[in-house]
Amino acid sequence: MSLKLDPRTKLYMIFVVSAVVMMSATTPFLWAVRIAMTMIPILLLIIEKHYAAAFRFLIFYGTALLLTFRFLSENSKGFLSAFLVGYCSIIVQFMPAMITAWYVVRTTKIGEFVCAMQKMHIPDGITISLAVVMRFFPTIKEEYTSIRDAMKMRGIMLGGGNAAGIIEYRMIPLLFSCVNIGDELSAAAVTRGLGGKVKRTSVQVLKMSAADYLLMLLFTAALAVFVVSKYII
Amino acid sequence: MMQTTAQINNVTYRYKGAAENSLDGVSLTIQKGETILLCGASGSGKTSVIRLLNGLIPHYYHGDMTGDVKVNGHDIANTQLYELAGVVGTVFQNPRSQFFSVDTDGEIVFGPENIGLSPDEIMARKDNISRQMKLDKLLGRSLFELSGGEKQRIACASVAALLPEIILLDEPSSNLDMQAISMLHDIIREWKRQGKTIIISEHRLWYLKDIADRVIFMDKGRKAHEWHAKDFAMLSEEETRQLGLRPTNINEHYLALLSDKDNAENGHTDISDGILLKDFYFSYHHKPYILRRKKFSADDGDDLSLCIPELTIPKGKVTAVIGSNGTGKSTFLRCICGLEKECTGVIVSDGKEYRKRQRIGFSYMVMQDVNHQLFTDSVEKEVLLSMKEKDVKRCHEILDTLSLLGYKDTHPMALSGGQKQRVAIASAIAAGAELLLFDEPTSGLDYAHMEKVGKLLRQLADSGSTVLVSTHDPEFIEQCCDHILQIKNGRVHPCLSAAR
Repeated sequence: MSLKLDPRTKLYMIFVVSAVVMMSATTPFLWAVRIAMTMIPILLLIIEKHYAAAFRFLIFYGTALLLTFRFLSENSKGFLSAFLVGYCSIIVQFMPAMITAWYVVRTTKIGEFVCAMQKMHIPDGITISLAVVMRFFPTIKEEYTSIRDAMKMRGIMLGGGNAAGIIEYRMIPLLFSCVNIGDELSAAAVTRGLGGKVKRTSVQVLKMSAADYLLMLLFTAALAVFVVSKYII
Repeated sequence: MMQTTAQINNVTYRYKGAAENSLDGVSLTIQKGETILLCGASGSGKTSVIRLLNGLIPHYYHGDMTGDVKVNGHDIANTQLYELAGVVGTVFQNPRSQFFSVDTDGEIVFGPENIGLSPDEIMARKDNISRQMKLDKLLGRSLFELSGGEKQRIACASVAALLPEIILLDEPSSNLDMQAISMLHDIIREWKRQGKTIIISEHRLWYLKDIADRVIFMDKGRKAHEWHAKDFAMLSEEETRQLGLRPTNINEHYLALLSDKDNAENGHTDISDGILLKDFYFSYHHKPYILRRKKFSADDGDDLSLCIPELTIPKGKVTAVIGSNGTGKSTFLRCICGLEKECTGVIVSDGKEYRKRQRIGFSYMVMQDVNHQLFTDSVEKEVLLSMKEKDVKRCHEILDTLSLLGYKDTHPMALSGGQKQRVAIASAIAAGAELLLFDEPTSGLDYAHMEKVGKLLRQLADSGSTVLVSTHDPEFIEQCCDHILQIKNGRVHPCLSAAR
């Protein structure tokens, strides 16, 4: 089974989840809404066959929830519980946004994304820059892996007796190669007509399906619940 | 009746911040349907000519320019780059940095989308191109999982999708193996048959013999020679070498070897003194495990990406490692120098055994992209970083033998490609590595630079290091290698001695 969501729905999901994680859940009902909202992207990941990621997120989030509700309270004392409180509250608070973002980045093709942005009448400048950022993630990963290999061979994984080196030796070659690749990349793109005055077309056909409307409705409702409980009641 | 498609008129050009002119009074008239081969050393202005024709000079790379360029009736200086998109198409050198999408389909339609064609027309073009170039197997895939050759085919397709009259190729074969080069050759020939005007800048000349109509030799920003293809083919090896060009003919023996054909005449050689590799087994596919990871062994058979029960590498010699892309050359090198942690295997040298992490200290790999292994802000520090006990005197000795001493305070990133490579070698020597591995050190180099690398490897071998070098470069093997190892599907075919 596969469920193809419209990138606009996905972007809306990111927007709503990011807004909700900035508001605190104070009642059991609000907590329930929040947890339900987190489960949706996890379910979507399972549908898209990213089982390992879904499982990992579920374990992380579940553990943090369990710890928060079963073992930690206002009276928790001591170093360990202080540490746990910090860890769990960050995870519980912000993990939903991370899961959603991960889902969106993993399942959206650049072409779809560009087309969706155009349909929303976002200026090409912004769309193209964001598309390049998405295109760059895998490149950065490739480059970073080679640099780590080179560091392993030199035996300087821990900075080679220079604490700042741990960061410096990773970042400097990485920046150099990313700048070079970026430069060549944009030269290649402009020779193929990027940045022209002509209105860009797109071969992607985007149509909102029932699932899209349903999800948008659900997320809007969740947002409304949070806004109402925070600002109106 | 000949028809002029492009004309470069007395152009002099200097890149912003550069000390010298990159082009010095270059004039060139290109007829419609002509195929032109641009050759010459690195930095001779080949790439700048290509950039003049596609408008990257002066619109993307800024600098001082005099003279004018006309392409298909457009005056380049007054034409925006996007207006040229459907007129001139360019295939660049590095397949890795010229695609904009992450998937193959998106890449092919990228150009047509930019110029605002209707979706139906774009899809029709895509189908047409993929039928012509036989891309069915590549469609719908992530560009990051393709080999260099496959990426270059997609790059060609995405240029062709714009249906340009003029196609420029800037050192397109640099990162390709023999099989991919022959595919590239077929693509270019098909374009020629369709009547496109083609300009290729290239170091490797042999595969273009039957395609080029005219050969232009660039030297220090000037057009130094010009031949008809017939006359160019008549040049002797001596003459091409004097021009600093790679040969136009390749020894058939190496061509066959590099094309992965079976070699009936395996000239075995006895190796008296060697470094022994024992029980190297490795696979990229992890076996499921519960508590203890099971070690790879010979019993895993076909699952293994690398399977070397025993192999001797001749000591103090240069050994070429050949095989098509994706057959395990890189895996082989990565396993030897200990980068693949899970690879089993022992290296025995002088009766001493090196296992697991010790392999890292014993060998050192100079990567294809040396930029990845330069970390500090001066050449001297770079070499000292490799030494457990910082010995400035020894460091200067090493730099001196590699003629780098004059650059000891220079930032490694400010050096030329060849110098960077030598800095990486210097740090390998400083780390005390006995076995030096090179991953395709000569891809994309001109003849003179290739010769320099060859001499350097010989120098390293003569001073006692053992050198393993993976390569697709027949000229290079002929020049400096003593032995050849062929890798096929992760299995090593024993050492042949190179006919030096």
